[in-house]
Amino acid sequence: MGLPLFDAQSDPGPSFVSFADIAGLTRTPTSSDLSAHATTVVAVRFADGVVMVADRQATSYYVANRDVRKIEAADRYTALAISGSAARGLEFIRLAQLSFEHYEKMTDSSLSLEGKANYLSPLIQRNNLTTTLVVLPLLAGWDLAHQRGRIFEYDGAGGCYERQDFSVIGSGTPFADSTLRLGFQTDMSRDDALALAALAIYEAADNDPSTGGPDFVRNIFPMMVTLTSEGFRELDQETAANTFRRINDRRAESGGVAGGTLR
Amino acid sequence: MSNYFYVAPEQLIKDRAEFAQKGIARGRSIVAAIYDVGVVMVAENPSASLYKISEIYDRIAFAGVGKYNEFDRLREAGIRWADGTGYTYSREDVDARALANFYAQHLGDMFTEGQKPLEVEILVSQLGNKFRPTKLYRIAYEGTISDEEDFAVLGGDAETIKGRFADLEVGHLSLSQTLKNAVSALAGPGRQLPVGDLEVGVLEDRGERRTFARLDDEQIARLLS
Repeated sequence: MGLPLFDAQSDPGPSFVSFADIAGLTRTPTSSDLSAHATTVVAVRFADGVVMVADRQATSYYVANRDVRKIEAADRYTALAISGSAARGLEFIRLAQLSFEHYEKMTDSSLSLEGKANYLSPLIQRNNLTTTLVVLPLLAGWDLAHQRGRIFEYDGAGGCYERQDFSVIGSGTPFADSTLRLGFQTDMSRDDALALAALAIYEAADNDPSTGGPDFVRNIFPMMVTLTSEGFRELDQETAANTFRRINDRRAESGGVAGGTLR
Repeated sequence: MSNYFYVAPEQLIKDRAEFAQKGIARGRSIVAAIYDVGVVMVAENPSASLYKISEIYDRIAFAGVGKYNEFDRLREAGIRWADGTGYTYSREDVDARALANFYAQHLGDMFTEGQKPLEVEILVSQLGNKFRPTKLYRIAYEGTISDEEDFAVLGGDAETIKGRFADLEVGHLSLSQTLKNAVSALAGPGRQLPVGDLEVGVLEDRGERRTFARLDDEQIARLLS
């Protein structure tokens, strides 16, 4: 690539995607359903921010990958999670990360959290309306200007909706969503929110064959992330292991019966 | 039909060079230097929002003197080139030397073929790691690229400031000492530069991917005290 210089009329501005389109860097999506799919991520708002938990499995006709990272830091205060086509999703994360950083370097200021959420809408729309490789992301972050955690979810056509309570994406949604609907309370503590989000993923993995649960054999556990005034923080696998072991032990004691008490 | 008078190529080049030099000499200078663990760039810049020093990539920074709109367009092109290259290949493949060469080609083209030469002088600096060396590439208005050792001075009064800085800076010192030397070289004898008139950017490893940082007035004052 040569030095990308533009005159004032054709300048793509600080949007990396606009620039990448002009420079021919973005590849044209094609259709195929023979690809791995990523599933089930939950985000839950609590008193001091947002927690996110995601399973680690990519599934096609069989288990394609057992340790996929479906949540990534889009920047210091923002997390981006993906469901749907794994290939397009991972590409989507890369493009979003780069776009936010590109904007920051070009303009010497960060995009607002809402600005980031809105920026993704046309990208989702373009991908989902032109291919069968549908991607549904979930954006959560700590809003520095408004000093609170916020969650933005999207529909298949790129519509962006802010959620005040929690949001779920992926094929395990019915089970994770039910769990969160019953267990959610406003202004929970961080630990309660993490425990509830983990339980939602556990339920999804229990009922949805495309969602991976805690893997005690290979020591692979769902990703657990917090977004607070301290920014994006990923909890270590030992913490995740302990969280899921507790749920597992409880479930073993009741002979697999989830009913009774939720926790 | 218009008539053209013959102008000898030597004269044309000389005129163009003089034109560019005059434009550059109107602005204030920049000192960039390698210190013990990084690269520091110091500009005399009374504006707190129109920057002369910027981040290009994880380990690459940009500095420019002369006409703001001209070097700012080069800065933007550099960020686009770096982000585009990193996106197409890998972040490791973004190299300051390649970018410096593109800048040199463009400035050279504008000098010989453009309506007028660009009235800018720019610097591409790279913080080294296991795979690449720490580098300062200075690119002049006519496309001359020079690989500067230890430090570089951009701007109209470059030679004088260079002399003053070379007398003070012996080897790679600490950030604080290098900054003091750079500020005193920029100020010259009998002149004090207020902290508010300084723009300082550094490339330094802090355990994160991105190494560029802009120092605020408070940080600059602390380093200068």
